[in-house]
Amino acid sequence: MFVIDVMSRVPVYEQIIKQVEEQVLTGILKEGDKLPSVRSLSVKLSINPNTIQKAYTELDRRQMIITVPGKGSFISQKAVEVVGASSREKIPELAKIIRDLALAGVTKDEIIRNVNEVFDEMEGEE
Amino acid sequence: MINAEGISKTFEEFTALDDVTCNINDGCIYGMVGSNGAGKSTFLRVLSGIYKADKGYAFIDGLNVYENPKAKQKIVFVADELFFLPGATMNKMAKLYSTVYERFDWKRFNELTKVFGLNPTKAIANFSKGMKRQASIILALSSRTKYMFFDETFDGLDPVMRNLVKKLICNDVAEMNSTVIVTSHSLRELEDICDHLALLHKGGMVLDSDVLELKTTQFKVQVAFRDEFDRNKFENFKITRYRQEGSVANMIINGDREETVAEFKKMNPLVLDVLPLTLEEVFTYEMEALGYEFESALEVEKHE
Repeated sequence: MFVIDVMSRVPVYEQIIKQVEEQVLTGILKEGDKLPSVRSLSVKLSINPNTIQKAYTELDRRQMIITVPGKGSFISQKAVEVVGASSREKIPELAKIIRDLALAGVTKDEIIRNVNEVFDEMEGEE
Repeated sequence: MINAEGISKTFEEFTALDDVTCNINDGCIYGMVGSNGAGKSTFLRVLSGIYKADKGYAFIDGLNVYENPKAKQKIVFVADELFFLPGATMNKMAKLYSTVYERFDWKRFNELTKVFGLNPTKAIANFSKGMKRQASIILALSSRTKYMFFDETFDGLDPVMRNLVKKLICNDVAEMNSTVIVTSHSLRELEDICDHLALLHKGGMVLDSDVLELKTTQFKVQVAFRDEFDRNKFENFKITRYRQEGSVANMIINGDREETVAEFKKMNPLVLDVLPLTLEEVFTYEMEALGYEFESALEVEKHE
């Protein structure tokens, strides 16, 4: 369920957290879904179990998952909310992209039209 | 828990280990890298009680390892130069191991020989180099010891086998909290599987750190400003390397990533890129700082 690129500059630990976040946002992981156990994920990806445990501990700390001793880790009720809040932090990045585009000569109308298109597309999917 | 306390070892004039101290926690996969002759193999041989340290001690779970069967019972060591009894088959070697290791697991031994596709009734002398290595790995994993040391074991395996061995090691660490030390020349080999890395250089331990910490406390920054500037502009940061070409500067910074990015943004840069370092970069820089430069090594070659 996770695709880890060990050659990437991004630490494996961050890759796991990011992928859980993405899967929560896209609805692949829903409240109450069980994450694979540390052991099985470690063997499957041949990644150090301690690294995976660290990622799970961080997800737990962010309240995205709830770990029940002896049962496993589950996506929490608040997961979407938590990821949503951290997604808002990306707005400055958007601002940067818009600035770059404007500098490159893209007009405001064009940007707005593109934003609208993305929203239209997403509504179509639903 | 493994405690190495001030271990020194010399061979005639050559100092292989010079006052090496380190502690390795249970459940850790400890990677060790270093140039040729850095002392990696010697360190493992002292830890497993093959060599007696000239100075210092190696303890395993509080027991002095040297000439102590009780401590050695907990250790299995796959050396870089393999040894098998003359004319032995894997079954015969397994019998020998089972008399030494109380917890030797025949069921696992039989399973693993099947998984690796090795015939345990054939003479090991007729095995290929890689197969011999696999045979010794199977024997080690079947011994069910708490501590496993692998000396350049991955380097001689093909990618499929390497991945299989990594999976098996991960399984043991997750399931039984085993502790593993792996040495290698190739950092790439160790990056995914180790949680702790040590760098040996000329017999000394130069770096000993959590992998995650290594990767998150140092990063590469590329930044450009409209106005002229030089290194003094970044006095507030802990810079380990700095290079500037025109209005673009590249640097390596030690510190908290988010704080640093915030600081940089305040300066209104034209371009700001922050990249995590690969372990290879971390180690190359550390080695350069020690005067072990790869470029100058290459130049020598050219002159000859």
